[in-house]
Amino acid sequence: MKINRRDFLKTTAATSLFFAGFGLPSFASQNKKNLVVIMLEGGMDGLCAVPIRGDKNFKKLRSKINLKKTLKLTSDFDLHPALENFKACWDQNAASVFHATSIPYKGRSHFEGQDMMMSGGTVPYQEKTGWLGRGMNLAGLKGNGLAMSLPMPLLIRGVPLNNNYFPIRSSLPQKRLLNIIEEEFNQYSEKDLSETLSIIRNRDLNYFPGTNASTLALEAGKLLSDPNGPRVAVFKVENFDTHAAQGGENGAHADCLKEYDQILKALKASLGSTFKDTLILTLTEFGRTIKQNGGNGTEHGYGTAVLMAGGLIKKSKVHGDWPGLKNKELFQGRDLNATMDARSIYASAMSTVFDLDFKRIQKDVFFGDKLENLSDKLFKA
Amino acid sequence: MKNFFRKVAFGLKPDEKISSDPLVWAQKQVETVPELNWKGKHIYSEKEMRKYWITQRVEENTTLRKKYKNDPKGFERAEKQLEYDTGGKYWPTNEICIRHAEGIRSDHPVLAKLWYFWTNHFTISKTQRLHQYSTGAYQREFIRANMDKTFETMVYEATVAWPMIMHLDNKDNIGPKSESARQEWRRKEKRPATLNENHARELMELHTISPKGGYTQEDVQELAKIMTGWRPKWTKKSDQGTDIRFMSDRHEPGKKTVLGKTYKNGRKSLKIAIKDLVNHPSCREFIATKLCRYLITDQPTKQMIAPIIKAWELSDGYLPEVHKAAIKVAFEYNDKYKKFQNPENWWIQTINMSGASYAYPIPEKKMDRFKLGFLVTQELKEPDWRLENIGYHPYKAKQPNGYSDLSTDWLSTELIIRRLMYAKEAFHQYKVK
Repeated sequence: MKINRRDFLKTTAATSLFFAGFGLPSFASQNKKNLVVIMLEGGMDGLCAVPIRGDKNFKKLRSKINLKKTLKLTSDFDLHPALENFKACWDQNAASVFHATSIPYKGRSHFEGQDMMMSGGTVPYQEKTGWLGRGMNLAGLKGNGLAMSLPMPLLIRGVPLNNNYFPIRSSLPQKRLLNIIEEEFNQYSEKDLSETLSIIRNRDLNYFPGTNASTLALEAGKLLSDPNGPRVAVFKVENFDTHAAQGGENGAHADCLKEYDQILKALKASLGSTFKDTLILTLTEFGRTIKQNGGNGTEHGYGTAVLMAGGLIKKSKVHGDWPGLKNKELFQGRDLNATMDARSIYASAMSTVFDLDFKRIQKDVFFGDKLENLSDKLFKA
Repeated sequence: MKNFFRKVAFGLKPDEKISSDPLVWAQKQVETVPELNWKGKHIYSEKEMRKYWITQRVEENTTLRKKYKNDPKGFERAEKQLEYDTGGKYWPTNEICIRHAEGIRSDHPVLAKLWYFWTNHFTISKTQRLHQYSTGAYQREFIRANMDKTFETMVYEATVAWPMIMHLDNKDNIGPKSESARQEWRRKEKRPATLNENHARELMELHTISPKGGYTQEDVQELAKIMTGWRPKWTKKSDQGTDIRFMSDRHEPGKKTVLGKTYKNGRKSLKIAIKDLVNHPSCREFIATKLCRYLITDQPTKQMIAPIIKAWELSDGYLPEVHKAAIKVAFEYNDKYKKFQNPENWWIQTINMSGASYAYPIPEKKMDRFKLGFLVTQELKEPDWRLENIGYHPYKAKQPNGYSDLSTDWLSTELIIRRLMYAKEAFHQYKVK
């Protein structure tokens, strides 16, 4: 996305007016664009989701967890059969893959890795805000984030008034009591609290859809498709950490991929026509070792793949500079190497969806680190 | 003035009188560490609790996995029973009762609030089932018991505590040039001796000088070398749950240099290194800032932290003096700042101020009735489950850096909804009937 400074100023001015309460139809001339990030926690195995075709060495190293049936993506890459909805998007030019990529974390700790995948920094636990939150803040997207999880993930911290949704079956105090609480908040000028309370009061608590991935995604899709609704949503899929019994077409890793695929399916269904203005990206802390271990699982690795879907995808393609899987081509002799800093993908996505200059994102969100602008290659302007 | 009681403690009970001198009232509470308020019979030391942990881990990972190799459902059943037998679902609530009795029922809630601060500073995050068996006891024995000692003592004791060594992987921190590195079995089992710098990094980053201390990756590695060999002792059979010892055969030989200072080979260097870290100016500043952030505001000023740093310098990091200084600052800035409490402190405050406190925590006689091997009732599971649901379980932090002290991090819709819901439930469930 190329945008000159004047256009940029126009956008920010409009956005700030919008939030000043002028209610400008700020997205009238241009459709509201959405960004969804699905965090795959535990280390998603890019080589299981998008395996390379015809690499004998790879097949040998993974004799017990190879996929016998796959979906075909390109002449070089296959797709895990659990990702059937991703494949459906692919067939419509609405899905692509960036392979052999990683966040700049080379250790093997989940916690450090997860912290860094969310913070976008290069030192674990150093940043108190997330790259997505900082990006939203830069774009003036206050009150536009939605996390489908209980604590607000670090990823979207850094911009005020995000909403999160992860319901439990319980009820709020009576309306009368809520009124009293609200009055108290106002009396003590607790602005953030009263604004949060007003979000809460608009929520239908009699309606309890549950917290499984698909239902959460249906809810998120509904809200994102609303022209006045949030523009960013964050999901979490856990348990990619398959040290044992990773499985092939079926098994622990397949279940996790399926959960991702179900989220994609539900989002696509509930986003409806706004799917075309949406970008859905995955994020993980690291990939997994090429070689299976004694327990038919894999260990913490390095390079992995980012799955991208949505109407803002330019075309279905496996992007990336394939580093090869020969011993000397591997990272530390055991992992798929990363030939692209995954933050380049996320910075480009924010540039596209938030209409922000890439260089500003690079500077203000990613600390001026060296990143590549991939917007034109990966996404529609 | 009521805000002061909320900030340094958990507010006042409906029938509680305000002390004529709140500052003295608060400061007096941190001079010594009195006995725990909880009078239940199940209070065990960290070492005693390890027995249950060992049973759980060893049985689960060896016996049961073998026995039910081809029967996943059978494994699940047996695993559940094992958890009942070892009290895995009972201990967390029992420990939460002990913890919360200090905040709600004791006559030193200020000490309790600071105890919670330090347990979060020296977090044991949720891993290896430590949260079920060990973390509660660790927080009593290595954190609370050291609140009337120097910070240096607390750091040292927490560092070589078994749960901390386990949690930060120092068990696997073995000198690459150590005696053990040359042993034949390492080659056979393909388990080369390597440094694991996790614990060393956290000791500097989270526990003492923080990144502002300006250490490099090399400093981290050198400190890791000093820490090699500190691990559960190998007996003939196993190292599962054994006491932490300095095992010289796993220690990296030679001198090490951390932040420009050289340390000798051997056991004594860890203690000296910790002494140097806690005497680093960044350490005082880091802790003083954190205390102000916890008690007063998200954005402490230089003026706020200055008296705490001074008290630290004058007393050589004697915690009662540091705490008193922090309380005084909180007192002086009381009217100027607001502090949105973290979910656990909010929960205790709600119970305390509503007067529902007489039925929470679950009374001792109910907790004492529990017998190992049996199902844990819903009522007994509730405190454990609720803390998780309000977003702050003191034994289940996700990361070694513990929970945030920033108000802004606790202001999310879902977390506020739950506060509203549970405040209502607390009233109905725990009010005096």
